[in-house]
Amino acid sequence: MTSLKLTLVTGRSLNQGRWIDVGKLTKGYYESVALVELDPEDFEKLGLKEGDRVKVESKYGSVVVKAVKSRRRHPGIAFIPMGPWANQVINPDTYGSGMPTLKGIEVSISKTSEEIPDFKKLFPQIFQPESTGDPPESATGETKIVKDVVCSFCGCLCDDLEVEVAGNRIVKVGKACALGVSKILHARENRILHPYVRNNGELERVDLKTAIRKAAKILVEAKYPLLYGWSNTTTEAIRVGLELAEYLGGCFDNTSVICHGPTILGVQEVGYVTSTLGQVRNHADLIIFWGCNPLNAHPRHLNRYSALAKGIYAKSRKDRKVVVIDVRETDTAKMADFFIKIEPNRDYELASALRMIVKGYDIEFEKVAGVEVEKIKKLAEMMMSAKFGVLFYGLGVTMTLGKGRNIEEMLRLAQDLNEWTKFVVLPMRGHYNVVGANQASAWTTGYAFAVDFRRGYPRHYPGATSAPDLLNNGDVDAALIVASDPVAHFPAKAVKNLLKIPLITIDPKWSLTAAVSTVVIPSAVAGVEVEGTAYRMDKVALRLKKLVEPPEGVLSDEEILNMLLEEVKKLCR
Amino acid sequence: MELLIKNGFVYDPLNGINGEVLDIGVKNGKIVDPSEIDVSKAKIIEAKGKVVMPGGIDMHTHIAGPKVNAGRVMMPGDHYTSFMKLAKGVHRSGTGKRTPSTFLAGYRYARMGWTTVAEPASPPLKTRHTHEELNDVPMLDKLCFLLLDSNRILLEYLSQGDLHKFKHAIMWLLEAMKCYAIKLVDPGVAVPWSWGKGYGMDFDDQIEPYGLTPREIVVNHAKVNEELKLPHTIHVHCNKLGIPGNYETTLKTMDAVSGIAQDDFSIHVTHVQFNSYMGDSWFDLRSGSEKIADYVNKHSHVSLDVGQIDFGTAITMTADAPFEFALYHLARWKWAGAEVENEAAAGIVPFKYKKKNMVNTIQWCIGLEVMLLVEDPWKVILSTDHPNGAPFTRYPKLIALLMSKKYREEIMKKLSRKGLKRSVLPSIDREYTLYDVAIVTRAAPAKLLGIHEFKGHLGMGADADIAIYDLNPEEVDFSKDYVKVKEAFGKTLYTIKGGEIVVKDGEVVKEVFGETIAVKFKERPDPEVVRDMEAKFRKYYTISFSNYAIHDGEIRKLKYMTCG
Repeated sequence: MTSLKLTLVTGRSLNQGRWIDVGKLTKGYYESVALVELDPEDFEKLGLKEGDRVKVESKYGSVVVKAVKSRRRHPGIAFIPMGPWANQVINPDTYGSGMPTLKGIEVSISKTSEEIPDFKKLFPQIFQPESTGDPPESATGETKIVKDVVCSFCGCLCDDLEVEVAGNRIVKVGKACALGVSKILHARENRILHPYVRNNGELERVDLKTAIRKAAKILVEAKYPLLYGWSNTTTEAIRVGLELAEYLGGCFDNTSVICHGPTILGVQEVGYVTSTLGQVRNHADLIIFWGCNPLNAHPRHLNRYSALAKGIYAKSRKDRKVVVIDVRETDTAKMADFFIKIEPNRDYELASALRMIVKGYDIEFEKVAGVEVEKIKKLAEMMMSAKFGVLFYGLGVTMTLGKGRNIEEMLRLAQDLNEWTKFVVLPMRGHYNVVGANQASAWTTGYAFAVDFRRGYPRHYPGATSAPDLLNNGDVDAALIVASDPVAHFPAKAVKNLLKIPLITIDPKWSLTAAVSTVVIPSAVAGVEVEGTAYRMDKVALRLKKLVEPPEGVLSDEEILNMLLEEVKKLCR
Repeated sequence: MELLIKNGFVYDPLNGINGEVLDIGVKNGKIVDPSEIDVSKAKIIEAKGKVVMPGGIDMHTHIAGPKVNAGRVMMPGDHYTSFMKLAKGVHRSGTGKRTPSTFLAGYRYARMGWTTVAEPASPPLKTRHTHEELNDVPMLDKLCFLLLDSNRILLEYLSQGDLHKFKHAIMWLLEAMKCYAIKLVDPGVAVPWSWGKGYGMDFDDQIEPYGLTPREIVVNHAKVNEELKLPHTIHVHCNKLGIPGNYETTLKTMDAVSGIAQDDFSIHVTHVQFNSYMGDSWFDLRSGSEKIADYVNKHSHVSLDVGQIDFGTAITMTADAPFEFALYHLARWKWAGAEVENEAAAGIVPFKYKKKNMVNTIQWCIGLEVMLLVEDPWKVILSTDHPNGAPFTRYPKLIALLMSKKYREEIMKKLSRKGLKRSVLPSIDREYTLYDVAIVTRAAPAKLLGIHEFKGHLGMGADADIAIYDLNPEEVDFSKDYVKVKEAFGKTLYTIKGGEIVVKDGEVVKEVFGETIAVKFKERPDPEVVRDMEAKFRKYYTISFSNYAIHDGEIRKLKYMTCG
């Protein structure tokens, strides 16, 4: 049978992003995620037709998914949307950084007649909730339009949404992108409406007090609990979480460990040079997107803050040059003035080559990182001659080999460029308050992620005190997951260990993690049912609004965590 | 809770009390007449042979906000080696010496007997973040100064000569951001820095596209400050900071605002040590402290804080972004630069002050010289511009240096001789008294900030913020036994905050949260002006105007000071 050796990239797709708010236990999510996108030519080479299944195998595991022919060319590269299927084949090793290798993995792909594993196959203990629709509620009552609503989906934190509310129901979301609309409009879908505790292998409904008591008992009895998540909730909740982790002597880590943790490692080495998005909008005449695809992951970024935005000095798209550096020609790449296709895992080399040119050195090769040196020189020239340049980068450089070192080199590049002109760097942050999780963690402990409290004071050893490593190595004996879904997004090896220990989940929705947990506590959706502070990708703090009442009996993360903290303190007395 | 502090040597300069043995009564968080205390119920603190002072006030310390947090993230090494463990039921944990975590900053100040601090530089768009951190700073009352010098909307009003709009926009901003005072940093510099320019900008240079000079920015802010009857003056980090020859710019800045306030202060020049350099380059750098002190001695409208450096690793962080970029070329290690749309910029560079370095020696001397040459201690405040000159935990050492010529001489033995030759410190004999110390660390900052009715003294009705030090002025010769002075100020016997004992024998025994003090005006900002601001805001900013202002509920404990 034909098999092809390809390089695997995993990450967000627009469909994946939209379905997570409708529900991860749905057919729609399954169909958006259990697939691999292949270059049309590779697709033909494998003798595939639409609907065929393929087996994807790597050094770390194998999985069967549906084969999809891409609309665009990306020979040699296979893409699987982030999710439990991708997790079976990615490289769990973090190489001391906390970040598993989620992009740029060598795989071999061949046609198969085997079935695609479903949720039950992947996670035998998974709980299928009875109803995932709206809770009973009334849309009758006064209709009002709430203006300047802050969107709680991605790190763009767009704050100009207009939401129409009828009674206690959101009926229309204006000005938001597809992801934002989906999040807010579907806020009431797939909800957890009661607390649950697992009994004899089955999740059973309990009252809140019982669930809190059970959760507190698990945490207090654990020698070393992990408290993980935090990027999809308010800073207020994060602060209580930090106090809880400190009191328990556990480990506090946030989801930046698997997104921009390497950014922090880079900053620790060299610092950074940055600005808020408004400086970019008003001034930038050169905008570079490196390893990120805002059209899919941050849809309004281009219009509000970057390429297409109306600024004071750079007034429109005409006044700006746009460059995209990526391993495949993404949607964003198609609207760029200059696209550089880089070989997977070679970002460090390209950044070093650019630094060399900026510093006046010659390069004695024809190609670096698969890019002709002439092209690299042209890019360096564009950078040095810009009046105000900006480099946005995403998970395409944090998740590949090199990780924090890639970022360090890119930050150094921007620092070097400031000898010539004004140049800033901005990470494209994913979850709407992942920056808040970093900020609160840093001001409370001194460290932005992977904080260990075992000795009674904060310590930080990425690669040892980071959640993926703790789970890969089976170093924790209980876990509290707040507003996150590691079962869907951690390497299979880590998930396997996570499922062996008592697991508490606080989440508004039936995530995969909630569905396999020991204790499940429902919470209200921040930015829809609860107010609070969140930090935009450029660290501007904004106030999330409350639009409707949460379902009856459902409290905010902050309130639940405060109850849990009180109960823990009581048990310790 | 009632307290009676008995028989201590009381130093309370705002009430003219200089070491008299007195009893201090505390009831419901305030100072009361000792006769009001029910001795059978009250906790009695025997302070015989001890020093009793009002709680210390640091009017310029970078302990919270976006750049401090960036400094924390950039400096994990500072956090690995300095930490405090959790004490369950008593206090939280924390790490960091130069950029301590918020809780630790509060505990460390309290352990030294400090009870009020001002975070001196917050750009409006990032002030929500600053307040979030201040909410997590325990043990202290807090003030926040608002960075306004490079604010695009204000500069437009100023360039149009529309002082009405200028004034009302400032009112709106101070109230909306829950801030206390106007801060100007290298006035106007963030404008050219948007294009990477502006290093070395002088007081009369033009700022394009506004056609304004730093002079006009400073003078107009000072005038509005006076008109609004703000409790503090404008708080100014002068142009050309850290550049040889800059004492002239400093003098020009001070002179520009003379006469704006009748018989009162009209400017506070902050961390003046960094702005008191004579010479044309680093090679012929000399101390300019005499020039600065001379001006301040002859004029009544200028107050200073000193920005004393101490040797060792510091982290420099300031809204003077071009200066930090220049410093990065000297230090060549790490550099963070950040810009906030339409408002400000900032930079962070870790830096090591070395004893044998000529420039660092001169810097060290200048700070002490200013403290010792300004005759009236009510005009000069002890600060390290934490963490720029040194961490605030060096205050005990600096107090000992001010009180002992011998101690200064001990240290000068280890310094650059070339540097000492270009300084006047070796020839200064003055030694501070305990009364002077109480002025420059308590009474004067309270007075200059305008919080002296309820802070910085131990008279009836004042907030019961008190420090008791294990130091007997009748037994210790401060000049000879400076080690004892340093130890005594390092750890209080008791720190009392809002009437509660929060530190005992140098250890935190209770965590409390102080107030955040913000100004509110009797006069309301003109709604017409606010509408105009909103229109400009829509054009320039990437957030909605309605999401800009901070609500009262976002502050843990908010206290308004009404002015006007």
